[in-house]
Amino acid sequence: MKYLDCFRAIARHRTDEIVVASAGNSCQAWWAATRDSVGSFYLDASMSLSSMFASGIALAQPELKVWAFMGDGAFCMNPGMLMVERQMNLPNLTHFLVSNRVYGATSNAGLPNFKDNDYAAIARGMGLERVFAISSIDQLEREFPALKAANAKAHTFVVLEVEPFTDEEQKIEQPPFDGPELKFRFGRHLESKTGASVFGYKI
Amino acid sequence: MSGQSSDSAKRIADELASCGVKLVASLPDNWVMDVINTIENDDRFVHVPVNREESAVGLCSGAYMGAMGSAALMGASGFMTVVYAITKINYTYEIPLFLMATLRGAVGDHHKHHISNGLYLLPVLDAISMPYQIIDKPEDIGLISRCYRHTRTYARPLAILFTRDLLRGAH
Repeated sequence: MKYLDCFRAIARHRTDEIVVASAGNSCQAWWAATRDSVGSFYLDASMSLSSMFASGIALAQPELKVWAFMGDGAFCMNPGMLMVERQMNLPNLTHFLVSNRVYGATSNAGLPNFKDNDYAAIARGMGLERVFAISSIDQLEREFPALKAANAKAHTFVVLEVEPFTDEEQKIEQPPFDGPELKFRFGRHLESKTGASVFGYKI
Repeated sequence: MSGQSSDSAKRIADELASCGVKLVASLPDNWVMDVINTIENDDRFVHVPVNREESAVGLCSGAYMGAMGSAALMGASGFMTVVYAITKINYTYEIPLFLMATLRGAVGDHHKHHISNGLYLLPVLDAISMPYQIIDKPEDIGLISRCYRHTRTYARPLAILFTRDLLRGAH
């Protein structure tokens, strides 16, 4: 499955989910697929922490649906995150693990044990129950309604098997925002959706 | 749990609750076990034990964006592993983080394996321009809420450092 095709397909299924994209190619791909600058937080340079960041949002705002994207390079740095996710078991959180079997953000450098890593099995081994493994657009279209089920009672983990970015795809635009700008765009969006006060004051 | 230890733990919990902290993400250090156990058994908090200290940084930073008060609690050694996460998330995006750690390796800590923390913890905090407040006496626990509120104004991370004398009593 082509990385960008996969993200475009997921974007078509999105309704009002809040998104946290991770360091590397997932920020580029989500920006390319959506051009969303308010309901998506591009947590660039945060190796392995996008799902923890998303868990904090999901815990704080249980009425929101939160999606977190993370590459398998980031996942390999901190697989124990799944223990925390399983323990929290937030039904409003979906963790998409984008498995391209390389360190995509660093010119597709080699990932340890890339041939044999079975991310879905790792997740099940940590007790996660809502685990999906998707390797084609057809399968994604078939399974997305189930993985997005509104009445899910547990945290959802989705492995997306994709091809690494090509050299040309590596050149697509990064989300063109400075950190504090993103914080305020995203935070004000959450304030308007939830009525909560993220920043505690308004100018 | 010793008398002073349990009293300090309860006062720390009360102080956190008073400034709106709901989520506490922790990794243990022997010195903070009474604090962790107190928070775990206190309905005012959601306590999340994490797999590594960086996860606490990510979790608390996300909670901030969701408008939930939070604190990350860890040992000095754990803090030494989170410099990347803090500089990339909390400085790059200017997201407040309230972090509490132990002042390991200082006077009163007889563990030789914490000498490195005694030598390098404060210089590392200084090197990343991260303000800190040492709390050594029960009567200073009230500084917690002042420091917490400062993180919200300052929009960056700040550390509270607890001494052994505060958490376990002098020896």
